[in-house]
Amino acid sequence: MSDVARILHAFTEAYGCGAVLWVRGATAVEVAATSGGDVTRPDGEIYRDDEAVRSRETALGRQLIARIPGRTPAWVGLGPVADDDAEPRRWLRVLVPVLSQVIQSQWEATRAADELAERYEEINLLYSLSEILGRTVTLEDATRTILLEVAETVGAEYGALFVHDESSGLLRPVTTLLVASAPLPLPIPTDDPLSVTARVFRTRHALLVNAGVLESDFEAPFRQGAMLTVPIVWTTPHGGIPLGVVCLSGRRSGASFTAGDEKLVAAVGSQIATAIQNARLVRATVDQERLASEMRLAHDLQLRLLPDARIVGPDATCAARVEAADGVGGDFYHLFRLGGGRTGVLIGDVSSHGYRAALIMALVMSAAAIHAQTTADPAETMQALLATVEEELRETEMFLSLCYVVIHPAAGTVRWTNTGHPHAFVISAEGETTRLAATDPPLGLGPEGLHGDSRPWSVGDVLVMFTDGVSDARDARGDALGEPRILDVLRARRHEAPSRIVDGVFALVEGHMGRMRPHDDQAIVVLRTD
Amino acid sequence: MSLQVSKHGDVVIVEVDGQLIVSNRQELKQRVLDEAEAGVRKVLIDFAKAGYIDSSGLGVLVSLAKRLRELGGDLRLANLNDDLQTLFELTKLDSLFQIADTRERALESF
Repeated sequence: MSDVARILHAFTEAYGCGAVLWVRGATAVEVAATSGGDVTRPDGEIYRDDEAVRSRETALGRQLIARIPGRTPAWVGLGPVADDDAEPRRWLRVLVPVLSQVIQSQWEATRAADELAERYEEINLLYSLSEILGRTVTLEDATRTILLEVAETVGAEYGALFVHDESSGLLRPVTTLLVASAPLPLPIPTDDPLSVTARVFRTRHALLVNAGVLESDFEAPFRQGAMLTVPIVWTTPHGGIPLGVVCLSGRRSGASFTAGDEKLVAAVGSQIATAIQNARLVRATVDQERLASEMRLAHDLQLRLLPDARIVGPDATCAARVEAADGVGGDFYHLFRLGGGRTGVLIGDVSSHGYRAALIMALVMSAAAIHAQTTADPAETMQALLATVEEELRETEMFLSLCYVVIHPAAGTVRWTNTGHPHAFVISAEGETTRLAATDPPLGLGPEGLHGDSRPWSVGDVLVMFTDGVSDARDARGDALGEPRILDVLRARRHEAPSRIVDGVFALVEGHMGRMRPHDDQAIVVLRTD
Repeated sequence: MSLQVSKHGDVVIVEVDGQLIVSNRQELKQRVLDEAEAGVRKVLIDFAKAGYIDSSGLGVLVSLAKRLRELGGDLRLANLNDDLQTLFELTKLDSLFQIADTRERALESF
């Protein structure tokens, strides 16, 4: 039994008169409590908003009815009463303030409960957003959860969350709560004059529009009646950056959105922006990790393309090393056993690094393997190679510095074609250094027709070729290592095994660079035939 | 790197200050192509204040020289320091360009 019912029963027990309490509900006046008397709903002037005590004749006798002041429209009826109703009227003067006080208390308690429930929903919303901020989620997952939670909190049935795509100038719907059988909403140009969504994005001000106002086809799939549209703005130390818009419509209660709803959604707008930025960062990080992983894979594949230096044995002893500056690089070498004791050595540098350079490198390596076996002279080999890669070089605006050397110990000769490769040497047993000078500009730059050159090759000679990433290695001050210091190491170690010569050069390079990272690919090949 | 552009008769002189490398080569390329678009056919690149050119910078020079020659003009170089002069010789690129040791001689050669 409610407090009001208890009061009415106590009244009836004390005075022997029935009492009825009517309260106006959402749709009609209804009996809230009774301790006797006619409960038939009063009508007519009884509802006038004054303090007058009125009477009516009922099947159970005469009934006095008085309005109970307060926020909740309510009336109390006493009866049956006699024609001389002075006494019941005095009772009413006591009963009405008591009921008013109780009803007011009940109203406040209900209101407080509603308020608490509303706050709870808001707290729940903020909790959900915090959860999204703390989790690793995709942009789609984050925005979906955000839209559902915000819609739930303000009692909206439909809505959409748009994110700005800077490259196209469009607001793209990333998650939606659509009207039944509505098509997916289209992206909205930010400069569209009719769309509320675009307008809110441009002005960065929330907008509450009533049913029938500013309706556009863009919003039709998720709009029914009034629509609350709020910008999502990412706050930075340098100002706000608009990231998107959240639209809510179709309030379940049928009532319009309130200023409180607008305030709430606007308040969580920056939280939504943080969640979106978080999700974007996660996506970017994942993409970057994937790219790094692919680069590592490409680097491994590229290294696998390089031949094992032992393949030139027993005609020659060789050592080689390639260090790529960007994961995958454009420096490479190739080795060939050509028959008759002849050995072919190719070193190359594509005028770039990264994926495109690596592709050119792979193309040159596979083509060189074919042409080296089917041609007799380095110039002829390189000419065939140029024919293979010419179109690729023209399309990519790259060029190749290559040096292809064929050593024929039995004939005592070394023949080469050098297209713009600056660092190719023969170091004699006596320490004399001879540069295998460029015969032509780099492949892809020069005129047609390649040339060759030759010189004697003696027992004890060492062939050394390295790319400009080695001689241009920079220290912390930006000073290049330089070719002379490398040649000093080569001369000092000329009697050692090729692998030790390579180690010696890289020790020099690493010592010079210190903690600096190489800015260019580095490759070196060392070969001897004794 | 910065570029100083001036005119001497019908020759546009581009002075390169700093290193011509992969990260700024496009700036030089676009500047010269813009001049070519505007009708310039003779371009002199002065390297008096340039200390280093990487392989991609060399590629841009060759590409610009080709383009200007296709248009009936030419690209010439001046004031290469000893290292750059050696680089052009070692890579045989000196066979692709007319290189003068002073700006005046380069201008006379057009």
